[in-house]
Amino acid sequence: MTSQAQPETSAPERSRRTLVRGVLVFRWVWLAWMSFVAFANPADFRRPGVAWVSIGIAGAWTAWMTVSSRRWDQLTLWADLAVCAWLIAASALVVFEGDIVDQPFFATGYPLTAALSWGVRRGPRGGLAAGAALGAVLAATRPLNGVPLPDLPAREVRDLVSGIINYLVAGGAVGFVSTLLVRSGEALQRATDELVRERERAARLSERESLAREIHDSVLQVLALIHKKGRELAARGDVAPSEVARLAELAQQQEVELRGLILRDPERVPEGTTSVRADLEALARTIEGVPVSVSSVGPLWVERRVAEQVVAAVRQALVNVVEHSRASKATVFAEEDDGRLLVSVRDDGVGFVYDEAALRADGKAGLLKSVKGRVEDLGGSLHVTSAAGKGTEIELAVPLRGER
Amino acid sequence: MSEPVKVLIVDDHPVWRDGVLADLDGAGHTVVGEASDGREAIALARDAMPEVVLMDLQLPHVSGVEATRRIVEESPHVKVLVLSASAEEKDVLEAVKAGAAGYLLKSATSDELVDAVVRVRDGEPVFTPSLAGLVLDEFRRIAKKDVGEPELTARENEVLKYVAKGYTYREIGEKLFISTKTVQNHVQNILTKLQLRKRYELMRYALQRGLDQAPE
Repeated sequence: MTSQAQPETSAPERSRRTLVRGVLVFRWVWLAWMSFVAFANPADFRRPGVAWVSIGIAGAWTAWMTVSSRRWDQLTLWADLAVCAWLIAASALVVFEGDIVDQPFFATGYPLTAALSWGVRRGPRGGLAAGAALGAVLAATRPLNGVPLPDLPAREVRDLVSGIINYLVAGGAVGFVSTLLVRSGEALQRATDELVRERERAARLSERESLAREIHDSVLQVLALIHKKGRELAARGDVAPSEVARLAELAQQQEVELRGLILRDPERVPEGTTSVRADLEALARTIEGVPVSVSSVGPLWVERRVAEQVVAAVRQALVNVVEHSRASKATVFAEEDDGRLLVSVRDDGVGFVYDEAALRADGKAGLLKSVKGRVEDLGGSLHVTSAAGKGTEIELAVPLRGER
Repeated sequence: MSEPVKVLIVDDHPVWRDGVLADLDGAGHTVVGEASDGREAIALARDAMPEVVLMDLQLPHVSGVEATRRIVEESPHVKVLVLSASAEEKDVLEAVKAGAAGYLLKSATSDELVDAVVRVRDGEPVFTPSLAGLVLDEFRRIAKKDVGEPELTARENEVLKYVAKGYTYREIGEKLFISTKTVQNHVQNILTKLQLRKRYELMRYALQRGLDQAPE
């Protein structure tokens, strides 16, 4: 067996090879029988040299056919026919004159394998043609052995004819079977190819549909809104800059969204999880009043239930930033560290002194209830760093179970 | 008012180039050239003698990342400031590895843009929080994969995390009781390590594919 990688084989070729292997087994059986018969009766040979050389040729040829069974070509088939024709002819030459009909046939059944091989490779016609050629050589063995055909007794004529028919039938029948196998192999291949193509088409279609749905749900809606709003503003003439700015902001958000849809990684989403980065980016786009940027270490695949709570907590924190901090910008940063999801919400606003009791007394418990409650429900903790004039940083830490 | 900066604008949208040119002009800086693709950018970075190249990444012919690599190679004194849309951050990371000195979102205001150009010219690395997140991710992946590659020190890691959280260099300095200049040095070192990592990558690739095997 060679270690060289074989090229991918088609289904028809595979079924042909099964037949080729079967014929190879026949070859070795006939070769063994031929050698045994020759060794058993060496005294019956008129030309022992021709006998041994012929067996040597048959042995070498069988070995070569076995080794090269994957790449038989036209030349191999012709050479095979020549070797087998020679073995038939040699049968007439090795035994004493007139013995061809009495002695065991020297070539035994070996020449049949040429008809079989032709049948396998070239179909019924190839098999029949090879069988006919071998049959002709078989007929010639009688004169070669010194028995002219017209002198053959009727019984031996019948034997000869049945020998010729054997070659023809073997070649033709195997050729027929081979063609059948190849055709059904081709049909199977076509059906498999068609199935694969159908699957791919379905996958592409569903990908396109989901993309179209997302574009329709988000981008198209907003584009329509921008269109309508733009016309209204133009018709009104006197327009506040903030209204135009709002429109520009909407257009920009959609640009980001569209790019995200087009450039998104075909990354496999772990079952039951969602990307915290993507969810936070989506959240940031909904916050108005303070520009929010999102940074994260990796996409952060987190169990959906946990991610939803965390994003809700961050939303509440951002709403607080918009309402109270007078910040010029806010940044949300998320990472996974030591089995915990860490999220920081940071603004550059006025800051405050974090005192739970005082906040509760002021009735400003929104942050407390919403953010702290959600985080603690998840078994996590909340940490606030703030000082007057130094902005505020809220850090959430939530344990993750097993999932990446 | 600081010294005027000589700027080369690279972008394939003429309207965008006009807008940036007006912003820089208005702030007293000099636009020494405009290029609409990577090939032009490489040539102009050599010939027009800019101090800062404002580089878009989505360019025809030669990509912004490749143009950045070539400009930094051929003209190391020229600083490349990448200006790009937010969804292109993977490319931004590549551009930074190729030697870009800073990164700004296209949605930045005129003031932020002008400010960033001056800061980059003065040798200050310009970073956004989201780029800091990408860089952190990159270094964590190295830590998992390979020993021997440049890793971040604990302090650099700390600084980078503050950048990712949206703190300015000045604020980080106050938090860590170090000077703003030291914070900038840390960020500069992080960028240098990122570029070194790119070289390691190329070297490893060469070792695997080339050196022990004659080309076919």
